[in-house]
Amino acid sequence: MRTLSTKAPESADGTTGPRAPSRRRRPVREKQWPAYVFLSPWMIGAGVVTLLPMAVSLYLSFTDYNLFDAPNWVGLRNYAEMLFEDPRYWRSVGTTLLYVLVAVPLKLILALGAAMLLKNLNRGRGFYRSAFYAPSLLGASMSIALVWRALFNDGGTVPDVLAALGIDTGGWVGNPHLAVYTVVLLTVWQFGAPMVIFLAGLQQISPDLYEAAALDGAGPWRQFVAVTVPMLSPVVFFNLVLEIINSFQVFTPAFAVSSGDGGPADSTLFYTLFLYERGFTASHMGYAAAMAWLLLLAVGVITLILFRTSRSWVFYADEEGR
Amino acid sequence: MPEPRSARRRPPSRRAVLTAATAGLATVLVSTLTGCSAADGGTSQGVTLTFSWWGNDNRAERTDEAVRLFEKEHPGVTVRTSNSDFGSYLQKLATQAAGGGMPDVAQLDYRQISRYAGSGALMPLGEAIGNKTIRTDEIDQQFLRTGSYEGGQYALPMGRGITGYAYDSALYAKAGVPTPQPSWTWQDWENANKKIAALGLKSPDGRPVTGANDGGGNQDVFETWLRSRGGQLYASQTRLGFTEDDLAEFWAFCDRLRREGAIAAAEDTTQANSTETSPIGRGLAAADFTWDAPFPGYAKLLGESTHFAPVPSTNGRAGSYFKPSMLVGISANTKHPKEAAQLIDFLLNDPRAGDILGFTRSTPPNRVIAANVSKTLKGPELEIYQYAQTMEKYGLAAPPTAPPPGDLPINTAFKRNYQRVMFGLATPRQAARELIEEANRELRS
Amino acid sequence: MNIATKRWMPHTIALVGLLVLLYPLAWLLATSLKPADEVVTSLDLWPSYLEWSNYTTALEGVSGVSVTRLLSNTLLIAVGCVIGNVLSCSLAAYAFARLRFRMRKAMFAFMVATLMLPHHVVLIPQYIIFNRLGLVDTYWPLILPKFLATEAFFVFLIVQFMRGLPRELEESARIDGCGPFRTYWAITLPLSRPALITTAIFTFIWSWNDFFTQMIYLFAPENFTITLALSNFVDQSSTSAYGPMFAMSVISVLPIVLFFFVFQRYLVQGVATSGLKG
Repeated sequence: MRTLSTKAPESADGTTGPRAPSRRRRPVREKQWPAYVFLSPWMIGAGVVTLLPMAVSLYLSFTDYNLFDAPNWVGLRNYAEMLFEDPRYWRSVGTTLLYVLVAVPLKLILALGAAMLLKNLNRGRGFYRSAFYAPSLLGASMSIALVWRALFNDGGTVPDVLAALGIDTGGWVGNPHLAVYTVVLLTVWQFGAPMVIFLAGLQQISPDLYEAAALDGAGPWRQFVAVTVPMLSPVVFFNLVLEIINSFQVFTPAFAVSSGDGGPADSTLFYTLFLYERGFTASHMGYAAAMAWLLLLAVGVITLILFRTSRSWVFYADEEGR
Repeated sequence: MPEPRSARRRPPSRRAVLTAATAGLATVLVSTLTGCSAADGGTSQGVTLTFSWWGNDNRAERTDEAVRLFEKEHPGVTVRTSNSDFGSYLQKLATQAAGGGMPDVAQLDYRQISRYAGSGALMPLGEAIGNKTIRTDEIDQQFLRTGSYEGGQYALPMGRGITGYAYDSALYAKAGVPTPQPSWTWQDWENANKKIAALGLKSPDGRPVTGANDGGGNQDVFETWLRSRGGQLYASQTRLGFTEDDLAEFWAFCDRLRREGAIAAAEDTTQANSTETSPIGRGLAAADFTWDAPFPGYAKLLGESTHFAPVPSTNGRAGSYFKPSMLVGISANTKHPKEAAQLIDFLLNDPRAGDILGFTRSTPPNRVIAANVSKTLKGPELEIYQYAQTMEKYGLAAPPTAPPPGDLPINTAFKRNYQRVMFGLATPRQAARELIEEANRELRS
Repeated sequence: MNIATKRWMPHTIALVGLLVLLYPLAWLLATSLKPADEVVTSLDLWPSYLEWSNYTTALEGVSGVSVTRLLSNTLLIAVGCVIGNVLSCSLAAYAFARLRFRMRKAMFAFMVATLMLPHHVVLIPQYIIFNRLGLVDTYWPLILPKFLATEAFFVFLIVQFMRGLPRELEESARIDGCGPFRTYWAITLPLSRPALITTAIFTFIWSWNDFFTQMIYLFAPENFTITLALSNFVDQSSTSAYGPMFAMSVISVLPIVLFFFVFQRYLVQGVATSGLKG
């Protein structure tokens, strides 16, 4: 977590050793209590709504809790069963990894492309922005899930258009090799949020930089590589972290497209979907809690690695003084 | 998180206090994970009952009407009702039961009975039945047993359903297949499918019409097949009633027919999530295994030539049985057991409630009410009513007791493992072995 | 490439992209007006005639609760969530961004870590807490957590924004004798408007589209939201009414579309100036 917290405001102050206070330039030490007043809602929330339930779920992950009977301590049995005995656990890990590896890059590339396109459109800017954002606005709603199934079913628009182009795929929803891609496309379709963030980042790049590059004889591609990419790298990083965290937890689109069972033949059994099935359909809440904790751990480690590597490729223009 | 480097001021650190507080609260929470508080009786003054069920809008409207009538008859009792779709309902009720917030009166699925009764979430109904607060005289005694668990009555059936076979009689006639009788066999069924496929008809989108939907992934169809051969799904609450050989044979049978093009193709079966999107709804198959209650929907969707027939037998032995389409029980935590019991009795036995509710929950279990309501039936509704009577006369084995708690995940595993067969990811034998292993794991825990 | 092509190229690309992008929405709209027998079978996008009765059926509501009631319930929850998030997240963010206190690093790290928490994990314990407090079947389980800054994403967003604000104004306010509360209220909060608006918009949309929490906590139909009502429409155990179901879908998303069109320009502004630099 240390790397995470270096992103905290003025983190240099936080790392004070025992002798630090004497070196402070500020003569009077700030009172602490106002900070706790500001933080009190968050602290209550973090305690009661987050930390406490987390502690309970950690405890439950070492039990055989089934929602109905009192939990019995089983030690590491849930974890052992998950890692060494249950083939479906690893299937769900595989499906989720495939999804993250395909959906996140696709979504970010589309979002960046759209942002670059919209940046240059002055006329109708508001219209385009809203229209490109519309899928993200509605994508999470149940109505769109209904539409999605209909579009990718046999006889739906997508297989029909592909068939007209000479590619006979049949229905996607019922095909275990294709079903996962209907979920991928449903997520990728909602690239509005990263697009807006990219757009914001692009608008902050000083035009002077492009002018200077143009004077040096750089063409559009060269400008993109030499100016846009490095200047945008903090935003790319932000989007990447958020999208990866979200993708590991993908639930709603998979739940909707597969009618909740991760089918056909487990082809859309994402991690959280499997977790939900174990916990609520099969009433193995202890097992589900153990799954959740491993997920939290895995996402934490991946985020940590991202933050570590970010130093070598993320470029902070206002780094000075930090 | 980094540990503090050195203990500066304040020996009992805030963190220690916080940790202790969290641990204390957590203990309180964990101890309520199975919270059951004693129920106490009382007068009907200012009593509010909660009652929840799953189902569509029509059922909601009629249930609401019946409940309002109950309120009028029992001044001082208010009933708050709620309905959800089936999938959400199962989860919602489980969450409520776990959190100690189960409604006073709840509609239950057959698969929920063992879990809810076994863990003490449901109130035993023996007393209410004994003192006639809930009358059960007009309900078939064998059928009543479906709401029992380890000898005690915990729920009462609200409706009676039976498996059957919706088929297009025009296509059957065209293919020269005789009208299916209760004694028709699985062999007859295979021949019928082949004859229909041999007609070479095309569906609206130009694909061949097959004999029937593929029932291989449907546990209900397997159970009916199994029972027609004298078997059963569960031998006890912890043991399966069939072997790997049984299941492999059933799946190999379905798999062969599908490969031969006699029944619907794999993708068409897996993408279906409603009658409309299933092979029969899309004109790709001439028949489908279903229950009696949904049949009028088939007839409405597919036209008048659609009729309801028995599921095939084995040498004349029928595998169907009368199954509770849904049951109703009382929360062990209810503060008003008397009023809750009165509400159940009213819904099950009051003739006016019977008139209002009609067949919205399949055939009413109360024989007098069923016979009374049936007089107003016509068309497909009348057909399923007569179907049930025919089957009763033909002779059906007694229903099994409520399935074990593990049945819910086993049911989804059943579908999934057959899907693996359909797409060539496993042979029927391999898939059957996997299902049995998985099922045994569920039954053990 | 001449000047005219150069000007029209991006527009053409954008419009073609939109055609693909918005097709599913057009499909939804068209299907909501299709007569029953065309919904599943017909391959045409447009209905052969407009079946407005889908909408009249949908407008009747579900389980005897009118659509207006359902919409105003949903609106009430969404507005409550917006107020809660904006208030509590900005308070916490101000402390993280501007004040110093013990264990700030650890708390901040914890806050960021909760971003990664799958919410199914804490569902049951949370339900037990709210049930103990007697708040099930009220809107409190949906709204109260927002007043306790439990959505780390927004705290993080506002912190990042406040970090980018010039310190000079606050310093001078402090020299003028303003305490941290006056400074927060009079200086920092108004300056943070773009980030707060972004928070408000996202909160509104997310709470409007939420299904899971509402499904768990709400019991009585008169408390239902539009999403819950829609899910009752979809019930598979009964003959589905496809046309009215899609009409209901359109009705359920219409308010957020309107909301978004009104506020969309603030959204990009908010993100643009919020210095989301990671």
